[in-house]
Amino acid sequence: MKIKAQTAMVLNLDKCIGCHTCSIPCKNVWTTRKGAEYMWFNNVECKPGIGYPKKWENQDVHRGGWQLKNGRLELKAGGRLHKGINIFHNPDLPTIDEYYEPWNYDYESLITSPERKHQPSIRPRSQLTGKHMDLSWGPNWEDDLAGASETAVGDINFRDLDHALYLQFRNVFMFYLPRLCEHCLNPACVASCPSGAMYKREEDGIVLVDQERCRGWRYCVSGCPYKKVYFNWKTGRAEKCIFCYPRVEAGMTTLCAHTCVGRIRYVGLFLYDADRIAEVASAKEDTDVYPAHLDILLDPEDPEVTDRAAAQGMAPNVIDAALRSPVYKLAKAWKLALPLHPEFRTLPMVWYIPPLSPIRDYAEPGQESDLIDRLRIPVRFLANLLTAGDEAPVRLALHRLSAVRHYMRSVRVEGQADEALLQAVGLDRDTTEAVYRLLALARFDERYVLPTTRPDASQLHQFQGRCGFNPDAA
Amino acid sequence: MDLVYELIFTVFPYLCLTVFVLGHAYRYVTDRYKWNARSSEFLEKKSLFWGAILFHIGIILTFVGHAGGLLIPQTYYDLFGITGDMHLSIAHWTGEVVGIAALLGCLLLLGRRLFNLRVRAAGTFNDLFTLGALAIVIGTGVYNVFFGRYNVLYSVAPWIRGIVTFSPDPDLMRPVPLSFKIHVTAAWALLGFSPFSRLVHIWSVPVFYFFRRHILFRRRATGGTGAEALSSPAPGGKEG
Repeated sequence: MKIKAQTAMVLNLDKCIGCHTCSIPCKNVWTTRKGAEYMWFNNVECKPGIGYPKKWENQDVHRGGWQLKNGRLELKAGGRLHKGINIFHNPDLPTIDEYYEPWNYDYESLITSPERKHQPSIRPRSQLTGKHMDLSWGPNWEDDLAGASETAVGDINFRDLDHALYLQFRNVFMFYLPRLCEHCLNPACVASCPSGAMYKREEDGIVLVDQERCRGWRYCVSGCPYKKVYFNWKTGRAEKCIFCYPRVEAGMTTLCAHTCVGRIRYVGLFLYDADRIAEVASAKEDTDVYPAHLDILLDPEDPEVTDRAAAQGMAPNVIDAALRSPVYKLAKAWKLALPLHPEFRTLPMVWYIPPLSPIRDYAEPGQESDLIDRLRIPVRFLANLLTAGDEAPVRLALHRLSAVRHYMRSVRVEGQADEALLQAVGLDRDTTEAVYRLLALARFDERYVLPTTRPDASQLHQFQGRCGFNPDAA
Repeated sequence: MDLVYELIFTVFPYLCLTVFVLGHAYRYVTDRYKWNARSSEFLEKKSLFWGAILFHIGIILTFVGHAGGLLIPQTYYDLFGITGDMHLSIAHWTGEVVGIAALLGCLLLLGRRLFNLRVRAAGTFNDLFTLGALAIVIGTGVYNVFFGRYNVLYSVAPWIRGIVTFSPDPDLMRPVPLSFKIHVTAAWALLGFSPFSRLVHIWSVPVFYFFRRHILFRRRATGGTGAEALSSPAPGGKEG
């Protein structure tokens, strides 16, 4: 057993209000450069919808991620030979139109405009060509279901559901899906990179692009099923979410998590068995991937695990952070958080707590069906999004969330603890209160538990001005 | 006249080769940040397809043909029963096909770079210059294949071999028609310019990808990243 640490995030969709506050500091700090205007390392999508870039989830279109072929795991876009043959023209590369053509406005013309009968107006101007353009797509184009009656039909999470029914006004549902790089355990982008410029960091599992080694072959962009590696059209290199590693190394959380006003994000460590990655990613059925993924996440409270990790050279502060990890609790101990599209077989490490939603109709007494089936968001949709279509884990998570609410309501409103619902979902009183505390009250240092990395002080001055992306490079 | 031949067909090729070798070394050490293919497929991929495929296949086969035809002496071909006439005939017909492919691809790419607004905006003068230079070299080459009607096996070929083996003889180029002289001189110039263009991506052909494991891990503190970063000056010319 080779034990490694992985930095990971859990997002509680039950609390996301879709304010996009997370995207803004990320944008301001990392992607305001020329060629990067269209990039959003963190973006918030509205579900149902086809997202950013268009139809990123549909691998029949984009051919990202892995697939099992005759029991063997291989890149969906094709192996090494296929890449060699297509190196001059990557057939699976999306173009910028599938994200959006970035634009800006000549704000100054409002001020310099001569006196006229009518107020001056400004037209959008393309940041690619500098020409005026008509807007037909952009970031958050589908925000709050805008245009969803047309675009959301293409949302693949409607699989096995009648999308026409759920896009009717009286049945309509929506929730937000903030997305960032998944920092996968089995990253298809890294496997796709011909130059070997992409790598996973040994210490914390953050996936990075070595900007000096990237030769611009573009296979990472098409290889990532989440479409979270971006191509800088000006510099000709790939860029992606760096999990704010300069902050994380200093023990601070990522900008998106730090600024989240809904406090929906949790950042911490997983310990996992790195020897079993290939086995897990090659699980027989798509629905087997999530349970297998869960299985290699190791319990940091198991002394055998921590002893072995220490013996393999893991630093004590890393083990300590893993012991206090909020993401381990949410994902494995309580099984509230689920991975995003495990069927892509990249073993993503940004997980989501599925959202509860309003109850659609009242059941007649005696005819009460499962409460979860009466929620406005169909369980099947969430299952297609989070567990490759297996409803059981989504039901368990939603039942637990609702049981915690029921219990806390009985304590706080009725003044009498009602544990009736807890047992059925496998929670006891202490765990329930711990869940409540982490989901509702947890302070900064409980939500974000990251070990600091000791820098190599002797060389630090030599790296000044070298981290991140170079704004001067063209 | 002797001096002119000496300058154009001995000094100039060695000058270009020197710049070629030292230029690549210099660029790799000082400017690895911009050492890439500078692909514009992300902005426009439909018209790129035929341009890029035709050009790349054509130019690679042209390169193989030049290497095989010019660097290997005719006497070796004679050993295998390929006479000079047969050799010329093979070179002529294959040259026509791959030369036209490369030229057509190159012109398609040039047209795209000039007239597609997005590609033009993303590109630099260097990109345009590189393509233009390629078009001139390939264009004169194709002209020679179709209209040259000149046997290069006993003049241009031994001259090139002389340069490669450090025994240059510019007099071999005296009887060569002007269009061939322009072609070889333009080609040397392009060779000398290539380290400062996007053509450096040729040297980054990802050969190791075929043998390496899929997932790469790197340590943060030691080895690879640190040492590499130290070997080049700070991007943007900033000193630490």
